[in-house]
Amino acid sequence: MNIGIRLGRILVSVPFLTYVSGEYGMEEFVKLQNITKIYKMGEVEIRAVDNISFSIQKGEFVVIVGPSGAGKTTVLNILGGMDTATGGALVVDGEDVTAYNARQLTGYRREDIGFVFQFYNLVPNLTALENVELALQICKDPLDAREVLKEVGLGSRLDNFPAQLSGGEQQRVSIARALAKNPKLLLCDEPTGALDYNTGKAILKLLQNMCRERGMTVIVITHNQAIAPMADRLIHIKNGQVSQMETNEHPVSIDEIEW
Amino acid sequence: MKKRALRKDFYMEIRRSLGRFLSIFFIVAIGCAFFSGIRASEPDMRYSGDEYFDNKNMMDIQVISTMGLTDDDVSAVEDVDGIEYAEGGYSTDVLCADGANQIVVHVMSMLPTMNRAQLEDGRLPEKEDECALDVDYLAESDLEIGDTVIFSSGTDDDITDTLVTDTFTITGTVSSPNYISFQRGSTMIGNGSVNAFVYVPEESFALDVYTEIYAQVEGAADLTAFTDKYDDRVSEVLASVEAIKGERQDARYEEVTAEAEAAVSDARQQIADAETELEEGKAEAETELAEARQQLENAQAELDSGKSELETSKAQIETNRKQLTDSQAEVEQGTADLNANIDSLNARIDQLNAAKEQYNALAASGQADDVTMAALQALYEQIQSGEAAVAQAQAQINAAKARLSSAQEQINSGWQQLEAGQQQIADAEAEITSGEQELAKGWEEYYAGEAEAQAEIADGEQKIADAERELADAQEEIKNLERPEWYVYDRNNLPDYTSYGENADRMRAIGEVFPVIFFLVAALISLTTMTRMVEEQRTLIGTFKALGYEKHSIAGKYMGYALLATVTGSVAGILFGEKVFPYIIINAYGIMYQHMNELSIPYNVQYGFGAAAAALASTLIATFLACFRELKEQAAELMRPPTPKQGQRVLLERVPFIWKRLNFSWKASIRNLVRYKKRLFMTVFGIGGCMALMLVGFGLKDSIFAIVDIQYGEIQLYDGNVILNGDASEEEKSEVLAAVEADKDVEGAAEGLLTQITVGNGEEWHDIYLSVPKDAESFPEYTVLQDRVTNEEYFLDDEGAVLTEKMAKELDVEPGDTITVRDEDRGDISVKIGTVCENYMGHYLYMTPAFYEEAYGEKPEYNSIVYKTADRNTEEAERVGEAALKLPGALSVSYTTDLEEQVDNMLGALDLVIVVLIISAGMLAFVVLYNLNNIAITERKRELATLKVLGFYNNEVTMYVYRENIVLTMLGSVFGVLMGWVLHRFIIVTVEIESVMFGRNIDFSSFVFAFLLTVAFSCIVNGAMYFKLKKIDMVESLKSVE
Repeated sequence: MNIGIRLGRILVSVPFLTYVSGEYGMEEFVKLQNITKIYKMGEVEIRAVDNISFSIQKGEFVVIVGPSGAGKTTVLNILGGMDTATGGALVVDGEDVTAYNARQLTGYRREDIGFVFQFYNLVPNLTALENVELALQICKDPLDAREVLKEVGLGSRLDNFPAQLSGGEQQRVSIARALAKNPKLLLCDEPTGALDYNTGKAILKLLQNMCRERGMTVIVITHNQAIAPMADRLIHIKNGQVSQMETNEHPVSIDEIEW
Repeated sequence: MKKRALRKDFYMEIRRSLGRFLSIFFIVAIGCAFFSGIRASEPDMRYSGDEYFDNKNMMDIQVISTMGLTDDDVSAVEDVDGIEYAEGGYSTDVLCADGANQIVVHVMSMLPTMNRAQLEDGRLPEKEDECALDVDYLAESDLEIGDTVIFSSGTDDDITDTLVTDTFTITGTVSSPNYISFQRGSTMIGNGSVNAFVYVPEESFALDVYTEIYAQVEGAADLTAFTDKYDDRVSEVLASVEAIKGERQDARYEEVTAEAEAAVSDARQQIADAETELEEGKAEAETELAEARQQLENAQAELDSGKSELETSKAQIETNRKQLTDSQAEVEQGTADLNANIDSLNARIDQLNAAKEQYNALAASGQADDVTMAALQALYEQIQSGEAAVAQAQAQINAAKARLSSAQEQINSGWQQLEAGQQQIADAEAEITSGEQELAKGWEEYYAGEAEAQAEIADGEQKIADAERELADAQEEIKNLERPEWYVYDRNNLPDYTSYGENADRMRAIGEVFPVIFFLVAALISLTTMTRMVEEQRTLIGTFKALGYEKHSIAGKYMGYALLATVTGSVAGILFGEKVFPYIIINAYGIMYQHMNELSIPYNVQYGFGAAAAALASTLIATFLACFRELKEQAAELMRPPTPKQGQRVLLERVPFIWKRLNFSWKASIRNLVRYKKRLFMTVFGIGGCMALMLVGFGLKDSIFAIVDIQYGEIQLYDGNVILNGDASEEEKSEVLAAVEADKDVEGAAEGLLTQITVGNGEEWHDIYLSVPKDAESFPEYTVLQDRVTNEEYFLDDEGAVLTEKMAKELDVEPGDTITVRDEDRGDISVKIGTVCENYMGHYLYMTPAFYEEAYGEKPEYNSIVYKTADRNTEEAERVGEAALKLPGALSVSYTTDLEEQVDNMLGALDLVIVVLIISAGMLAFVVLYNLNNIAITERKRELATLKVLGFYNNEVTMYVYRENIVLTMLGSVFGVLMGWVLHRFIIVTVEIESVMFGRNIDFSSFVFAFLLTVAFSCIVNGAMYFKLKKIDMVESLKSVE
């Protein structure tokens, strides 16, 4: 594996992003109120998410942590419009997403949400550039795909197929795809889960930079407690409930975090 | 129990993925059903045919001899090793009037046990003047049971030489195992082809030898007809029969020769007798004539002497007459003298008397004086002397008187005699006249007699000469007497018999192609499904492996799964298919062989076994390979997602001109198509197969319809064909032509020669029609000779004959080649083929009269008239035909529409096949598309879920998938057009029956229909897919790669 060597080059190629912060103050950009999700398995009711409420401000880098089965993914699904809550309300940028029908939800995913998957979920048949374009094709106000790919450090690998890219590179394509849609919310489901340490860090760095530079609201779901210090807001979920929420006035750069 | 968990997992797997299990089950079932069913149709056709022939106790071997067959021959055949028993029978071809038409009927005697006729209606004939008629013919004619038919021989011979009577009553209708379909064979009389057959009792035949012998081969009934085993057995025995042929021919030859020679010597004796008789007769006649002449001559002489006598008599009479006249004159003179004497006497008497008075007066006066006295005296004396003188004179007169009267008397008697003599003469003259007349008559008679005798003699001599010549001829003939020829045939000589076997062969040919494609698709699909299943369960396999299960236990689950689905599917499919498909197909063929009512559909285990084994093998090997591939890897490796498939650039990308213009949904689709090559191949194959099957179905219809349209619309432009009576005079024949031409509805008519001939290339021989138009110039108005492909029109010329395409292919001849025409009188004739022309119904050899003359060495005898009507409809054609038939010169008429009916019959049989094809095609399309789409969707669930997460609307996701399907459907259709075109060509050539060439065309509309149906099937399947796509859960996208 020559990932290390290649990584060095990638890190070098990441442009410096200036820090822009706190412009949007305390307004509640995303607000969850008493969100409950109950799965019925025959006779048994499983409360995957139980009465969760929290708010996120615009431009925040939010990390949701919790052990496996705590309900993180369900929260993410509801946030991403991939699932509907059994009860409660989700308001994003003043819109009540919980009231949306299926089509509106699709529109919501299309326009407002950027999704970064644990396993990248690139279309294997499309090149990096085309995978980004795939998302752009459907939204109203997209960014330029090449620019975004350059921004995530893949300017030279535009025409490579996913199978020709390393895991980190694939994840960068995935992020570029999400970003290029110019979404309101960037949702990342264990973005480093399938990556090695260094690559994982580089990806998190990229996400943090995106947040800082573009004022993108980024929500990262992870079970890795170690990255908590880099978050503006840290939400702990346990047994379907928010066990703890803290805001970090001085988040550290990922470079300073080791685990 | 060991590995109970694994077993439980196995059953749970089936229950959980029942859809997949059932889909394999059904695909295998359909594939096996189709494969084994269509394949089994071939042997089932043979079994059914065999059962029919067995039931009818059909002969295996038929012996026909040119000189008849005797009872000795029958027992000789029976004694041949391998012959179970033999029966002699009679048959002959006769003409029969049906309405105005003269039809040719094949009359057969009912055999004691063999070739049993199937009674369809009425009863079988019992008396010698009863017959049972061909049921097919009765149906289309006006005849009914109870009608009488009158047969004539159609040759110079008398019908009663062959049959005891010429009038038969129809007692019933029958079908015969000798004639299983429409054909009735050919004949030497009438227009050359037999129209119907009748069965009569044996006693109806007046022949003293059999015309044929039928024999059953030992053990042949147990073998299946139309199989090599049967054929081998029969040809083995046939060879044995052939072996006694020479001996029997010789025996018959001896017999016939002996008979003939006896007849010849009889005849010779007769001639000799006749000659002697003639000689005798001649002598006798001569004597008689001579006598007659002598008599006549004698009579003449007599007559002549009579005549001269008569002349003498006549002269005498004349003399006598003269004498008499003289005498008369003398007498008259005498009388006159006498009278004068009397007068003088009288005067003297008067004087005397006066003297007396004077005297008396003087005496009375008394004067007696002397003077007085003297005076008295003187007076007295005077008186006295006077008186004496008077008395004397008186006496003299009296004497004279007496003399005169006697003379007169004599004269009178002389006259009388004379008259009598004259009378005699007159009589004699009359006699002579009548004698002369008689004599003349006698001569006349004599001459007539003489002439007669001479004529008779000449005649007798002529007859003898004739008889002698005939005798000489007969002797010559005996010398040259052809040896009797035995023809030993098997059942293949029966019309349509081989065609049934050929149809079975055709079925096999179809069975070898169609179901194989079908089966291949089914196998491919079950194979893909199983492979996919194994791949899907990669992690599970890894888990089992990690848990320490052996490879075979893990593989066992999947193998078992495949085995169970395939075996049950095969069994169900075979049980169903081997009953249903043969049933449909044999019933469809039943339209052609409508009296073969036996249906024997046993299970043909070998085909079923083959199909099941193939299905099992393909699925199990695929499963095994898939399992092997997975199991080969380490457990840990299995737990990890497989390395994603390489995306790859497609060729099209190298054409930036096009590629740049595609939006990348299309780019993605195109790349996907290339990426999933197996799926691409199978979908294209499946859709192509569906399209091809339907194209074949529609195409078959087009091609068969083409026969009617092209044959009677473009090639044969006449509506009716009058066959002339061969026995009619030239005037009668030209009368028919004149009558047809004069008809107001007839647009044109032309004379020609149309006759059935046998042609061959030295190896195989076929019956075809020879057509020689009298006027080659006007020929294209009635028959267009053209090239099928280029439509180039050909014209008859004296350089070569024109042969129709199908026969050219059968005989493998090309323009410039030579074929042989087998002619019974002239032996083999070589005919050069100038061109080959398009033709669909029947086979024809066309030539100009000049070319005919060159080939045959004589001018053609025109025997038919083709005509076309103004409006070209059936009514007109039939009316003209019926009018023509009333003339003695016309024998029969055939109409174009009758031939069209035949085509309709064939079409009926194929209609069902076409429906089966289209339904099968539809099923194939469904199964393939559904399965492949299903696999495509499950395989790409993640990708699709991701698209959904990315915010693609349902229809956009659907289109993402459908775009590929549309391309695949198009590709498949294109492929299907090619495949269908090839397959159609193959099928057409295969299903063609010998006498017909089907069109090679598929109409454009059929392409459109097949395409639309394919698209429709595709749409339905894709429609069902929509819901499946809609149900894809976005959460799938979050799962790890399996």
